[in-house]
Amino acid sequence: MRHIRRAFSVSTFDEVIVLKGYLKYYGKRIMWYVLTLVVAVFLNFLLPRLMPGDPVQQLAAQATAGSTDPTVYLKTVEQYTKEFGLDKSLPEQFFIYVGNIFQGNLGTSLSKYPRTVTDILGGSIGWTLALQIPGIIVGWFLGNLLGAIAAYIRKSIDTVVLPIFMFISNMPAFGLAFIMIFIFSNKLGIAPSGGGYAYDLVPNFSMEFVGSVLKYYQMPFWTMVLISIGGQAIGMRSMSIYELNADYVKYSRFLGIKDHKIVMYVFRNAMLPQITGLAMSFGTMIGGNLVAEMVYSYPGIGTTMFQAINTRDYPLLSGCTLLITIMVLIANLVVEILYGVVDPRVKAAQMETE
Amino acid sequence: MLRQIKEAFRNPKFLVGFILFVLLLLMAIFYPMISMYEPLTYYATSFEKPGTYVNILDIANSEGVKLNVDTAAGRLDSVLTDDQKETMKDWLVRFGGVEESAIDLEDSESFLKLWQDNYDSKNPQKGLRTADKKAVARLDKQLTTALNSDSIDIAGKNEEGELEVVKSIPGDHFINAGSVGNSYTFPLGTDNFGADVLTKLTSSIRVSLRIGLVAGLIGTAIGLTIGLLAGFLGGWVDNFLTFVTNIFTVIPSFVILVLISNAVSASARGATMVSVIIGLTSWPWTARSVRSQVLSLRGRDHVNLSKLSGHSMPRIILQDILPYVASYVVMAMILQISSGILAEAQLSMLGLGPNTSTTTTLGIMMNWAQQYSAMQSNSWWAFVPVVISITLITFSLNLMNTGLDQVFNPQLRD
Amino acid sequence: MGKVMLEVNDLKTKYVTRFKEDVYAVDGVSLKIEEGKSLGVAGESGCGKSTLALSLIGYYFAPLHYMSGEIIIDGQNISGMKPDEVRKKVLGTEVAYIPQAAMNALNPTQKIIRFIEDVIQVHDKSLSKKDIYDMAVERFRILGLPPEVLQKHAVELSGGMKQRTVIAISTILSPKVLIADEPSSALDVTSQKMVIKMMRELMEKGFIKSMIFITHELPLLYNVTDDIMVMYAGQIVEHGTAKEMVFDPVHPYSKGLMGSIIVPEEGTRDVQLEAIPGTPPNLKHPPDGCRFAPRCKYAKPECKVYDVPEKEFEGHRMYRCIYDVDYLKEAYGRNG
Repeated sequence: MRHIRRAFSVSTFDEVIVLKGYLKYYGKRIMWYVLTLVVAVFLNFLLPRLMPGDPVQQLAAQATAGSTDPTVYLKTVEQYTKEFGLDKSLPEQFFIYVGNIFQGNLGTSLSKYPRTVTDILGGSIGWTLALQIPGIIVGWFLGNLLGAIAAYIRKSIDTVVLPIFMFISNMPAFGLAFIMIFIFSNKLGIAPSGGGYAYDLVPNFSMEFVGSVLKYYQMPFWTMVLISIGGQAIGMRSMSIYELNADYVKYSRFLGIKDHKIVMYVFRNAMLPQITGLAMSFGTMIGGNLVAEMVYSYPGIGTTMFQAINTRDYPLLSGCTLLITIMVLIANLVVEILYGVVDPRVKAAQMETE
Repeated sequence: MLRQIKEAFRNPKFLVGFILFVLLLLMAIFYPMISMYEPLTYYATSFEKPGTYVNILDIANSEGVKLNVDTAAGRLDSVLTDDQKETMKDWLVRFGGVEESAIDLEDSESFLKLWQDNYDSKNPQKGLRTADKKAVARLDKQLTTALNSDSIDIAGKNEEGELEVVKSIPGDHFINAGSVGNSYTFPLGTDNFGADVLTKLTSSIRVSLRIGLVAGLIGTAIGLTIGLLAGFLGGWVDNFLTFVTNIFTVIPSFVILVLISNAVSASARGATMVSVIIGLTSWPWTARSVRSQVLSLRGRDHVNLSKLSGHSMPRIILQDILPYVASYVVMAMILQISSGILAEAQLSMLGLGPNTSTTTTLGIMMNWAQQYSAMQSNSWWAFVPVVISITLITFSLNLMNTGLDQVFNPQLRD
Repeated sequence: MGKVMLEVNDLKTKYVTRFKEDVYAVDGVSLKIEEGKSLGVAGESGCGKSTLALSLIGYYFAPLHYMSGEIIIDGQNISGMKPDEVRKKVLGTEVAYIPQAAMNALNPTQKIIRFIEDVIQVHDKSLSKKDIYDMAVERFRILGLPPEVLQKHAVELSGGMKQRTVIAISTILSPKVLIADEPSSALDVTSQKMVIKMMRELMEKGFIKSMIFITHELPLLYNVTDDIMVMYAGQIVEHGTAKEMVFDPVHPYSKGLMGSIIVPEEGTRDVQLEAIPGTPPNLKHPPDGCRFAPRCKYAKPECKVYDVPEKEFEGHRMYRCIYDVDYLKEAYGRNG
């Protein structure tokens, strides 16, 4: 935003053209993301409907299990058929589905009837965002720091610290969650093993509740952080080594600029391209991280999704997958825009493609 | 090609990864063969610690061998917990008139002697509650029983239904654990169902590797085909395929994986089905990198020459393009195998993995460990080896990939 | 005679390589530049010109190492100083450097003005950002650079503009000696001209007191500098005024270099171009005796045995060859 504001205040002819270039470029990108979202919504609609057998009868049988009155069963079948709109043609169903999404209507949960899917997801998305965003960003930052230090110092960090984090990075996030729970909550007893807050509390904004949340937050948080350090560090290390040999480092030295300042230049220049690594990690990490949430019984989307699968709550599962996709798409778009704004090299390259 | 393979084996990272991987593979192939257990048979009823389990009746019926060793210390260690030792030490210092420095908890024998010399239940023990006094007395009695080296008599009912001594077992008699009729060794204990963890683990590694391999092959084949077509044909084919590829790189494959797996009924989800599903969702990155490789190759002289000579498209692709992208394809496939194994584990954790009654995978083992709260019950053997196995597999594959990267792109070496 | 700005006595530096085979890239160089004067250094690539430039700055880091000799700038000997002291007291204010590849010399993600602030604040912490900005705008204006450049990132500038910006930044503290290493070689003709013009202006306006200009393009030196020095294999082989060096070279290597110039004029196509046969020696194992002997068409057996000292002639000129000046001139006359 900063350079856009500047463009208006200076408002020279040149800058207006540049601004137009930005808007055009990002307009195109946003259009592309919208298109991707449409494809994602379509898949989200279509794939569950490929299920063999009649899901409605299965669901109804499940929902009315234990009831001996056959009319209850038939009524439920009818109700579900109507609710899912299965009496209409597939394209019609799709448009109804999209229309409902626009109204924020994702259907009614089967397992937590009569709560709506939107309501349930609204309760868990905050938890997931509060965990995943800081976790991924802190992990990314610490990984970059380690990579830069490894590039600058080499030796002991290269041969000992880095391989350890590389090994941890190859662990699935939920695997690390197992180990963390076993060590820190079972053996050492310094952290609770699961949940989002102490079970005897009711969510509110008291000091006690916030304290409890923070206590339960630690382990899932550090799991996300530890998992991402190694991969980021390796990329940052080679990037930093490359930058340390760049001409501007030599030139800055010859102008008498101090080493710590030059290291800052290098760190910044090597770290900016790592932002793409951050974007890539969203899509690949989200699965493992959500399963880790489930291991910690953390009240986020991962746990909700697990419950949806286990109770065959299709509307809820479908809502979860849609929400995850939207989160990843938004994250990617934000990173892409951010990257263009903070890195003038990318800005220049993006303008060139125009 | 041969030169590159040789060079790869001279690369330390590749070599370490390769050796690790081969060791895991050999273990997964051969251990289930030589193991006396079946991976899906339940020998116990719940989590049991690693160790050798010997039938008690069999021991009682065996003829013992006299060994000239002191059995007291060993028995003491199996009877006394660290907490109890602390209690005893505390008593000795407060009432037994023993210097704290004279007590060495590690040396069980001398500690025991100190206790026997100084403990006296008639000691007034001022400041100790009655309950505590009784607890210490109980402890002392327990010790005396445990340390009793006299023989134990075993009684059985005779024909009249009266008890009579059947056998006497002296305190210094031993039997060879191997010669007992019913003896079971579970090197990594048993899982929640009572299956032998080591056998199950190796069998799971085998299945997981197979899933990873099949998924990797399918994903690479799809990615390679799309990448080759897009890069080589160009034009609208390229535009369309690139568009599709880009879309699927942004939509998380995890979501599609969950949606498809959920649509397939649980009974139809065998290990092969799961690997096919994973393969179908993992191709975009391969397609992307193959396409960019092909694009740069397309303009090279040898390809142009081939085109001018009128060679057919399949021939050009096979002869002039594939050999050049082969190294990238191999590297991409290695990564896909490792991500396939992780994907299976994720699906199984969610309950969307292979059918649990017919097969076992690393993910399924983790899932059971989670469902039966292995972490909370301190049954580390049910999940630590599994986590380490998954990590070692992906770590070794990634090491191989990094090593190959250095061999194929020498500028990456530093 | 003006005040001596830079005096170098028998400077020796080396590159330490990984395989313990040191490269003696500057091997006993002495020179002197007076205030207001400029010196050109010419030679083929690999003859040690660029290393000489780096060595003269007095700030060494791996793989370049200082061995012996003196560098005296305006009466102050900097060769014995500690690196930190050199950085604080010498770099930027006494000696400034313009690198060979100025294309990548600027940090791509930093605004030009931020970098200038960093450069100035190393030496003078008291100046405010506003002062620095005003100062930079003024200097850029005098040197004919648009002040908007200050608010841009290096990636947004064209090649020629980048090079001129680098020159302006290097000289912003008005150094006593400017060392320019091929500042115009990678540019197109128009940009090259602007750079040369700028270098002259720097001298005329007194922003720099003396200059060493290193290039492989001899005609350029004739246009820019007062004196020219020719280097071969880490040593100076000849030194004289620009005019003398271009029209009356003495050393066979200088003669060969001048003969390699292509001058676009009538009849050029008919003249046979002369090129010096062979390539410069590997400085890991420099040849014994005169280092040019293996490529010299006048060499006799003694050349490859005895080291040749620097010889003075005509009062101010100097060359390094076993033969007398007269003999050489006569030989050149014979060969046309």
